Amino acid sequence: MKTEDLIAVLAADTAPQSTTGERMLRCLPIALMVTLIAVVALWRVRPDFATAMVSPALYKTIVPSVLALAALWLAHGMTRPESRMRARWALIGVLLAAWVVAFVLVLNSAGFSGLISALDTPNLLVCFVSIPILSALPLAAVFWAMKSGAPANPRSAGVAAGLLSGTIAAAVYSLHCPEDALLFFLPAYGIGVLIMAVVGGLLGPRLLRW
Amino acid sequence: MSAEPSWEELMRAANRGEQRAYARLLQAITPVVRGIVRARGGALGPEGCEDVVQDVLLTIHVKRQSWREDAPFRPWLYAVTRHKVIDAFRARGRRIDLPVDDFIEVLAAPAGPDPFEAQDMDRVIDELEPRAAQIVRAIGIDGETAADTGARLGMSEGAVRVALHRALKSIAQLRERMIE
Repeated sequence: MKTEDLIAVLAADTAPQSTTGERMLRCLPIALMVTLIAVVALWRVRPDFATAMVSPALYKTIVPSVLALAALWLAHGMTRPESRMRARWALIGVLLAAWVVAFVLVLNSAGFSGLISALDTPNLLVCFVSIPILSALPLAAVFWAMKSGAPANPRSAGVAAGLLSGTIAAAVYSLHCPEDALLFFLPAYGIGVLIMAVVGGLLGPRLLRW
Repeated sequence: MSAEPSWEELMRAANRGEQRAYARLLQAITPVVRGIVRARGGALGPEGCEDVVQDVLLTIHVKRQSWREDAPFRPWLYAVTRHKVIDAFRARGRRIDLPVDDFIEVLAAPAGPDPFEAQDMDRVIDELEPRAAQIVRAIGIDGETAADTGARLGMSEGAVRVALHRALKSIAQLRERMIE
């Protein structure tokens, strides 16, 4: 087939396509709702839910939600082939660095013994298992939306998708989690989100290639 | 508006369904894409190069929504071209380094008349179901409109368009598989 013939074929197909943003708007709210329902129905919200949600313990929901918004901005931008999205990566980097600095400061004042006792609870394992499980649907939704885009680097686009799904899952899981200590939240949730970033980075080259 | 619409204007019109603007844009960018491919892939021969050019055009078509209407078109075009050219070379067993900055120099490459016949596309079209292949060839090679094709095949114009849209998606996937 001649190239001019191909052009004629392509030009005849001007059916509108949905953008990555439109796809995200379509499927992410659904994934979030189903994940919320799963936590309420299967995990159950924490016993003191009503009081916890108006106490400082709310930070466990707010911090991952803020990160999720930054990751959403990044993941959306990563589907444009002409940009490396440096500013958006920088924002994520600053937020994650703040997370690490906070952990170091808290660890410094409480010491390793404080860390060990904060993590010495069956809730640690529940957290490590729950965040990846709750991430599954948001991750599938994000990958489906990003598949319509053209990420210059599918691996880092996958990392962004993993960060987004992990932070969504962390925010939702916090409604169940009864551990409010920073020495629990920072390492346990941090590792949960990190696992998802790695999973996203491993899946990206396979699912987002074009 | 200037006498010669910019690529951005043409692409925005294309996104609103204006086929003539879209055809004009594709015709305008093809020599640029060809220039880049030839500058990098002389070893593939003219035919091999044209296969890659068609790959790039198909990808531009399938991914056109990833261009944001308020962004300049050229950086997007170069990024997509670069990605596909690297892919095409990888598929043919060689790695190349392709900094986007170099593209500006090769843009002056001659467009040339268009006797460019590529082989891969025909092989892929043969793999489509017969009706879809028939529609793609009728519109491409015979220059029929969707309405003509529909009348001949006893389909509505809309059905022809839907079939064409699906066929192009399948072609993109089949080519992707060929590269792997």
